[in-house]
Amino acid sequence: MRYLPSSPVEDRALLDTIGVPNAEALLVGIPDSARLRRELDLPTQGSEQEVAWQMMGLANRNTRFCAQFLGAGAYDHFVPSAIDAMISRQEWFTAYTPYQPEISQGTLQHIFEYQTLICDLTGLDVTNASLYDGGTACVEAALMAVRVAKKRNTVLVSRGLHPMYREVLKTNFAPHDDLNLVEVGLKDGVTDLADLQAKLSADVAAVMVGYPNFLGNLEDLTALAGPVHAAGALLVSVTQEAFAFGWFEAPGKVGADMACGEAMSLGNKPNYGGPFLGFLAVKDAHKREIPGRVVGQTKDLDGQTGYVLTLTAREQHIRRDKATSNICSNQGLVALRANIFMQLAGPEGLKGLAQQNAAKAQYLRQRLLELPDMAPVDDQPFFNEFMLRYTGDYATLQEACLRESLLPGLDLGRFYPEYAGCILWCATELHTRQMIESLVEILARVPATV
Amino acid sequence: MFLRQREPLSFERSVPGKRGMDLPKLDVPEARDTRPAHLQRSGFDALPELSEVEVIRHFTRLSKWNYGVDDGIYPLGSCTMKHNPRLNEKVAGLPGFTDSHPMAPDAFVQGNLETIYTLQEWLKEITGLPGVTLQPSAGAAGELTGVMLIRAYHVSKGAKRRVILIPDSGHGTNPATAAMAGYEVVELPSGTDGTISFDDVTDPVNGKVRKGLRTLVSELGSEIAGAMITNPNTIGVFEYRFKEISDLLHSVDALVYMDGANMNALVGVARPGDFGVDVMHLNLHKTMSTPHGGGGPGAGPVCCSAELLPFLPVPVVVRDTVKVGEGEVPRHSYRMAWDRPQSIGKVHTFYGNFGILVRALTYCLSHGSDGLKAATLRAIVNANYIRTRLKGAYALHIDSPTLHEVVFSDTNQAKHDVHTLDIAKRLIDHGYHPPTIYFPMIVPGALMIEPTESESKDELDAFCDTMLQIAKEAEENPDLLHQAPTLAPLRRLDETTAARKPVLKWAKG
Repeated sequence: MRYLPSSPVEDRALLDTIGVPNAEALLVGIPDSARLRRELDLPTQGSEQEVAWQMMGLANRNTRFCAQFLGAGAYDHFVPSAIDAMISRQEWFTAYTPYQPEISQGTLQHIFEYQTLICDLTGLDVTNASLYDGGTACVEAALMAVRVAKKRNTVLVSRGLHPMYREVLKTNFAPHDDLNLVEVGLKDGVTDLADLQAKLSADVAAVMVGYPNFLGNLEDLTALAGPVHAAGALLVSVTQEAFAFGWFEAPGKVGADMACGEAMSLGNKPNYGGPFLGFLAVKDAHKREIPGRVVGQTKDLDGQTGYVLTLTAREQHIRRDKATSNICSNQGLVALRANIFMQLAGPEGLKGLAQQNAAKAQYLRQRLLELPDMAPVDDQPFFNEFMLRYTGDYATLQEACLRESLLPGLDLGRFYPEYAGCILWCATELHTRQMIESLVEILARVPATV
Repeated sequence: MFLRQREPLSFERSVPGKRGMDLPKLDVPEARDTRPAHLQRSGFDALPELSEVEVIRHFTRLSKWNYGVDDGIYPLGSCTMKHNPRLNEKVAGLPGFTDSHPMAPDAFVQGNLETIYTLQEWLKEITGLPGVTLQPSAGAAGELTGVMLIRAYHVSKGAKRRVILIPDSGHGTNPATAAMAGYEVVELPSGTDGTISFDDVTDPVNGKVRKGLRTLVSELGSEIAGAMITNPNTIGVFEYRFKEISDLLHSVDALVYMDGANMNALVGVARPGDFGVDVMHLNLHKTMSTPHGGGGPGAGPVCCSAELLPFLPVPVVVRDTVKVGEGEVPRHSYRMAWDRPQSIGKVHTFYGNFGILVRALTYCLSHGSDGLKAATLRAIVNANYIRTRLKGAYALHIDSPTLHEVVFSDTNQAKHDVHTLDIAKRLIDHGYHPPTIYFPMIVPGALMIEPTESESKDELDAFCDTMLQIAKEAEENPDLLHQAPTLAPLRRLDETTAARKPVLKWAKG
């Protein structure tokens, strides 16, 4: 086995030093009844060449598309070459969580920079070293809001939140009989203000809204913050496409008390949904309730600046069942990708990319609307995703696109019965005009259904 | 090994006008501005302006202040820092995997679904448990999923239970998880041999009596939802009465959760499904060699018994056999099954850390049944080699063969006012990453060493020689250890001030 530094002579020497005839003799602590007295019923070891071929075969069994017009929480963006080159350094990708600061300053300083940039994007004060993904970030945000807003037990969730995020929230709230998760409806493709006001009460700890929401529409956080704050609740903005931070104002600057969501767009490929990058940013006043690892700046004995894991009194290894969360491992290397991406992009790059995304999506929408069977649903501002009503049959459209190696937008009826017949389209800087024209051409040929 | 020169924060290097990324030419009309004025992005306060070369040098220099698995032994106990094969990285980076969209129709991601299905089959055979979900993103996420399965099991029987039992030697994530799943935690005391005590235990210091497993089960009975047990436990010892523990809990219909953080000691040797476990998680970033990434991403698949299968998170990957003609080899197709009415629901936005699952399957295929078992045995030999070479110089918590890790205490060194933290920091001066320290909490001044199967005899000897030298230094020159590290880029850091007056981000000067 190529990964085991084993040889008959050395193996013998190890066993002789220990004083046992063979390795099996060291298993005396495992009761006989618990021992597996046969070999595992699995194939035997494979050479690198054999395994590489087998895995390439699996990768090749996936269809490669010329263009994907699908976002819905997983966005295809360009990834600069520097990112893969950097994270391939063993010092980054093989290292453990930085428990020993003197020998982990690289990781610690990176996290400090990453925290700074997530706070910059969201306009808030404090963030952590990452959470698993957008859905679980929503869970952490909701549970944190309940801790912060003492004696309030209800979290209002806009129906405009990513449907999978709402599912993950539901799963995690189910064990808590004392907590309620209540949905707020949509009107004209955004959170229904009247429904929100009707559901706000002294029991509401937080209100969670998409920014922009799952339908691609911009939620006016400032308008929502008024009634939410008047009711004494926290406004939580949930962003599933981090590129939107280059287009829309930082949520912390327009009324959000907490911002969470998904930042996979910063330097990652869709990867079939993971590893992704959950984030949660909060106000300074709430910092001792934030879940997960947090890095702080400090000095060493000689007065040199350095970085350490801090506020650990919140965490599971110290507080056990009183911890703010059970999270231990996070998405460290994905956060590093995001950090490198943001530093390469800089303010101009991020704004420029956002402008290109908006331009491509607007162009795609305009061209699609020229087709007779596409119609607008509402007239909300959007970023790189939007929905259109389609009077044809989605399955037929999908088949036509797939035949031409194009992945079409999402059939919204799958998640929103009220939007049955609507398709959620996405375009990013990766979509050339030519790709958009090809899509429109193919769609123009899809036979209209009666 | 370390770069001595200080690398400033990138923000301090920022110069207006520099660019690290050029954008493609815009081939469509400029975006019309439909945003209300107050929701237009105003600007950024921290994003730096740097060229690509500066960004690359920054992250290269920072990396040199880290220690990685390729630098040498990384003996963190309970963390299983084994070699990270490069093939796994290469395969996970194949565009066929990385470009695939999680909402693409099943027919177009057959390779992904087969990857998931195949890894599930491997994990089933390795654990001896028939149900698997690969969705949880890390060990703690797996624990939470597993405990929610236990809850769903009791709820399906119309019962709500209040308590989860957790040994005092357990990882902090266990009690934190139980609390997140709405349970009250009751602690199980360890006996003198470090395993769970059936009998009540009297604290030798304060004389307080702590109730043992038998008392707790008879007193709490049907209020107990289950127990979360790390096996082998955190001192590297198999809970030799596991089956009895399991039978006792099952007698009140409580279920047994196994924390599989230490599964590297059992693969191919013993299967949790065969010794009384109902549900467990595996840490693929430990047992299956996927890299730790400075804190993640990991993957924490959950394996469960047939009774818990209906409650697994959605979706579940299903294999269908495609009908073929007589005499032909049957072909398979794969799909995501969503319609599972008893499921606890979704625990991840999509299907988990898929890229990590690809690496884990590659590890499994490379090792095979024979390689997996050989790795387990070698990991155990390595831990016992260190135990044999260091005992005497360092006090052993338990003087009998351990499995994959060995726990020492600092009692010999404490006579010279040298403590575990000093030993750990002195190891840094000698060019090693320290072991896990002060855990498990039941061992005073614990030094928990897990070498894994990746270490050769040479590496083990060099590490042991260093540990022996440090033990000598502790006797002859304790101040050397109190001052350590002196050869790292920084000396000991002030963690107290960091927590009291937190500086958690950079601010423009």
